[in-house]
Amino acid sequence: MTPTRPNLLEMRSITKTFPGVTALADVNLVVREGEIHAICGENGAGKSTLMKVLSGVHPHGSYSGDIVYRGEQVRFHDIRASEQAGIVIIHQELALVPGMSITENLFLGNEPRRRGAIDWKTAQRRALELMEQVGLREDPDTLIKDIGVGKQQLVEIAKAFAKDVKLLILDEPTAALNEDDSRHLLDLLRGFRERGITSIMISHKLNEIEAVADTITILRDGRTIESLDVHGDGVDEDRIVRGMVGRELASRFPDRTPDVGEVFFEVRDWTVRHPASDERMVCKGSSFHVRRGEIVGFAGLMGAGRTELAMSLFGRSYGTWLSGRVFKDGTEIRLKTVADAIRHGLAYVSEDRKSIGLNLLDDIKTSMVSAKLSKITRRRVIDPVREHRVAEEYRQSLRIKTPSVDEGVVKLSGGNQQKVVLAKWMFTDPDLLILDEPTRGIDVGAKFEIYRIIQQLVAQGKGVIVISSELPELIGLCDRIYTVFEGAVTGEVARADADPEVLMKQMTATKKSRTP
Amino acid sequence: MSRITDLQKNLFGGTTSNARQFGMIFTLVAIVLLFQIWTGGLTLTSGNLIAVVSQYSYILILAIGMLMVIVAGHIDLSVGSVAAFTGIVVAKAMQEHDVPWPLGILLGLLVGAAIGAWQGFWVAYIGVPAFIVTLAGMLLFRGGNQYIGNADTVPVPEGFRKIGAGFLPEVGPDTGYNNLTLLLGVAACAGVVWREWKARRTRLEMKADTAPLWVAGVRLTVMLGVIVFATLRFAGGRVGTSLPISGIILIVLVLAYSHYTRNTIGGRHIYAVGGNARAAELSGVKLKRVNFFVMMNMSVLAALAGMIFVARSSASGPQDGLSWELDAIAAVFIGGAAVSGGLGTVSGSIVGGLVMALLNNGLQLEGVGSDMVQIIKGLVLLLAVAFDVYNKSRGRFSITGTLMRPFRRDDPPGTAPVPAQAPDADTAKVAG
Amino acid sequence: MRTSLIRTVAAVGAAALLTLGTACSNEREGASGSDSADGKGFAKDSLIGVALPSKTSENWVLAGDLFTNGLKDAGFKADVQYAGASTTVADQQAQISSMVTKGAKVIVIGATDASQLATQVKQAKDEGAVVIAYDRLITNTPDVDYYIAFDNFKVGQLQGQALVDGMKAKKPKGPWTIELFSGSPDDNNSKVFFDGAMQVLKPLIDKGDIVVGSGQTDIKQTAIQGWKAENAQQRMDSLLTSAYGGKKTLDGVLSPNDTLARAILTSVKGAGKPVPVVTGQDSEVESVKSIMAGEQYSTINKDTRKLVAETVGMVKALQKGDKPTINDTKSYDNGVKVVPSYLLPPVIVTKQNAAQAYANDPKLAPLTK
Repeated sequence: MTPTRPNLLEMRSITKTFPGVTALADVNLVVREGEIHAICGENGAGKSTLMKVLSGVHPHGSYSGDIVYRGEQVRFHDIRASEQAGIVIIHQELALVPGMSITENLFLGNEPRRRGAIDWKTAQRRALELMEQVGLREDPDTLIKDIGVGKQQLVEIAKAFAKDVKLLILDEPTAALNEDDSRHLLDLLRGFRERGITSIMISHKLNEIEAVADTITILRDGRTIESLDVHGDGVDEDRIVRGMVGRELASRFPDRTPDVGEVFFEVRDWTVRHPASDERMVCKGSSFHVRRGEIVGFAGLMGAGRTELAMSLFGRSYGTWLSGRVFKDGTEIRLKTVADAIRHGLAYVSEDRKSIGLNLLDDIKTSMVSAKLSKITRRRVIDPVREHRVAEEYRQSLRIKTPSVDEGVVKLSGGNQQKVVLAKWMFTDPDLLILDEPTRGIDVGAKFEIYRIIQQLVAQGKGVIVISSELPELIGLCDRIYTVFEGAVTGEVARADADPEVLMKQMTATKKSRTP
Repeated sequence: MSRITDLQKNLFGGTTSNARQFGMIFTLVAIVLLFQIWTGGLTLTSGNLIAVVSQYSYILILAIGMLMVIVAGHIDLSVGSVAAFTGIVVAKAMQEHDVPWPLGILLGLLVGAAIGAWQGFWVAYIGVPAFIVTLAGMLLFRGGNQYIGNADTVPVPEGFRKIGAGFLPEVGPDTGYNNLTLLLGVAACAGVVWREWKARRTRLEMKADTAPLWVAGVRLTVMLGVIVFATLRFAGGRVGTSLPISGIILIVLVLAYSHYTRNTIGGRHIYAVGGNARAAELSGVKLKRVNFFVMMNMSVLAALAGMIFVARSSASGPQDGLSWELDAIAAVFIGGAAVSGGLGTVSGSIVGGLVMALLNNGLQLEGVGSDMVQIIKGLVLLLAVAFDVYNKSRGRFSITGTLMRPFRRDDPPGTAPVPAQAPDADTAKVAG
Repeated sequence: MRTSLIRTVAAVGAAALLTLGTACSNEREGASGSDSADGKGFAKDSLIGVALPSKTSENWVLAGDLFTNGLKDAGFKADVQYAGASTTVADQQAQISSMVTKGAKVIVIGATDASQLATQVKQAKDEGAVVIAYDRLITNTPDVDYYIAFDNFKVGQLQGQALVDGMKAKKPKGPWTIELFSGSPDDNNSKVFFDGAMQVLKPLIDKGDIVVGSGQTDIKQTAIQGWKAENAQQRMDSLLTSAYGGKKTLDGVLSPNDTLARAILTSVKGAGKPVPVVTGQDSEVESVKSIMAGEQYSTINKDTRKLVAETVGMVKALQKGDKPTINDTKSYDNGVKVVPSYLLPPVIVTKQNAAQAYANDPKLAPLTK
């Protein structure tokens, strides 16, 4: 590569704050023309926010800093404006209409017209050209829902070409793809580079980044850590991992002396099929156990199957159960419904508290008692006094910041909402709590308090499983960590041996470190 | 501003969610007063009040069931047809097979339960949207009504007519009033006082801040005043009339269902399912059972409403139940239920239904034609819901806040959207 | 803020109490049953309620206008109401109740469903109002005072006779093939019309001079729900397909009214069949045009003007405390009692006598020229 390539894009000291949270602090990004530029960082490091700033989702004025694109300072007020300038973003969740054909999707909102009507002939012809460019061989009349995810991704990219793209941004482009499709996509990106199209790629898959990127920018906690020239600096995966996770862990976690007891909960050979697909397994023969008073971590990237594992355990709330047994205190238990799971002392705090964790119409006290109403009822009639008392107790013990437990949960901040969800499940008197991304979207102070609650729970002899994408969190909090990759448990690391780089390798690399 | 909301809460015992109900009570009072003046005092005469109750009790009964269906996130379009179907089955059974009328009522309820089980099965266990299931039911049972009744009108016996057109008997000394109605009124007063006292005690037990005594006093006085007035009106009608039996059935149902939806596990579960079905399921709520129950319950109430109408009309006819579903749905939405489910109260729906009923009645007393009445009712429905949507889009309800906004300088428009961005921060962090 | 609110609440409360207070007198005394029905009469400017079905036919609209004007001219206050289009029965029930509340002295009811008004009629009676069933006899209640209508049995007879005459004129020799239609099953008159017509037609059918092509002679088979044109057209369409394939011709159709007659003609024309002899009733404008054009054969002139005028006459008599004129005390049994009736004679109208029959009708007379 010639080092004298001109800069296509410069983002200079971008700072973006949300109330209570600084998402980006003084971030700089320089992308040269015709390169593949990878952006790496943990979940929550600010990658997506940065791209949203670039594409105008967060409009000019809602952030500080400058964006210089093709030598000029630009101010995008919405996505349309950035697309006009040739910046096209392709999100993880594809924006395609499943019931429409490839052609229809390619030109949705941008249909070629002739005398007021859609000119389907031209559309067809151009669709074929675009599909040729991305190497998609398919009848353009095929419906989107009838082609695989890999090809859908290609349609999405072809759509970008229809808009005359100069800078293509791909957010986790291979997260949902199998190996063949991923390889094809990476080849395609290389092909674009030959043709002078610049790409920015956000990815967790370090091997892919290493294979395809020219430059890597690493973000951490909303800051630019470094920008590496792959060809010049001699970058390898370890180097990237160090950049992503290398921060002080010590002060972020409350002190605790682990007091771990006997194994009381065990899962053997857990295999679950994807709800929509007969072939895809979301859990493949996973086995693990939890001891009393132990915090067990599940590390894995998004889409690795951690949530699916947890939810399928919790009363078969996800996928189709195929095989696997669950033991508690030595005897096998059957968890066919959520009610069974609750009765056997399981609690699951979901990763998405807004869409499946809480009823946002409820007030705080109603939410807190909702998973075990029988505790506050007499002959199935709710006793408002007990309800109120319970809620008040949790409000105080969990330090939920609210003027009253009669307030709607929707008014609470993320951290306080999460505490309400925790209270809701603590109220069910569980023996094992499964916490799925318990600190997602929560600021540092609230995180500390959540950690404290978790530690209090295990101090009472309960078992806690913490699922998290943030390795430092797992390392700082857990006694033991399982790594999960593509639905299978790929490793088990004790606290003493836990090290971000080791974990990251087990979570990302496929075959080399899988333990049976 | 917060004082006013406090007061509103104190006076009406409400939370933020029944804010529109509060507005609707005001609307109801306004409508009553307007027509009372406009019709020269006819609206609040005994005769008219009795007529209104017996005319609209069946719609209000439907509104109770519809509220639960809508709260659970569904809709039922078949209620009119189910009512008509039940009506003709019961009428035929009594006329042609000499079924005694109490058994006829039982039969009607069973028919309703069977239909409800049928519809509930499709909605809850097969997963067909309630809109479709009940649209099919609408055709199915309308057709069934005509098939069984030959599109004929079938009269019902005198005893049966009591549930729709009957009154409490005249017993005891001549007080110039219907004594049984007076007794009911006394019981109602006692009930209200007891409830107020109990609520206060509960608040004390919770160590929550109780409303000042004068507020409780005002509220009690208002409520007792209304009850005494209503009692005297209903008891003071023509000899032989009283609070209609259909009205008593309605009151019993309102009390029972208010209690059920507010204070029991089953009721909570309906709100949970409507508010967030997935969250409810993950909290151990048996989704299918709840959906089955609300659909079934609706059909049972529709059957009851159908029988009351037939009793009142003294015959079951082919046009029974036409567009009742619309009246019931309108009542529920005017009464503050959310289109997307999870919100709404029984009492709100009743207030909504009464708004429609008194509007209808007042306009008819004024001799306004049914064409204009429909136009006005349509507009009321639209405005009531639009008002709600508008308030929601502004964050939360506040009549006074809306009124005061233009006059407040310390509230620059820029501050309003701040809370709206908080959730955004979460997603931003999550996605990164 | 707080004091102003209290002030508002107090003001609203006071206003409420004041308004309520005006109405706060016991109504028990005023309720002394049906004394006004016999003999005493009532004030000259009393309220007279008229409850009519929904505006589905010209005749009801016309009747409404005539009542409004006629009652006003006679010095009464008129409250004329039509039932809503979709919720007819319930609407009419509510309207009658409102009229009672407003203190109507006489309530004239053109029922939408004559057997579902017992409760309201009783309410009216109890409050001392006189109930006149207009055009449709209210059934299953002892509380109807009078019935006024055209002689509907006679209407049926005339229709039957006209059908036979018309067919004879076209095709002197039988046997003739016909189809029968009757009115809405919830309208008490439907059966009366049909029975009248069958009194003429039945002997001929038995003799074999007249053949009912489809074999459907039962009133349940021939009924048209809600008197709706679309239902009649549907039935005719299916009759034509099922019974009149090939060359089979249809000579005549007994239709109970004009709306249905025109629907039947539309259906026949749509099927490309020759126009049969079709009877009718009500003298609707379109049908009179059709008769003049030689399509529909006959209609019945039940002059709504006369009927309304007679009804207003009855009301006037009641006001004075006189007994209204009655000409039939035997025929109209509503299931509970025989209702005293006043029957007006109907007139059959064909192309021949149209000009003469409508000479006094400002709307129809020009059509016949």
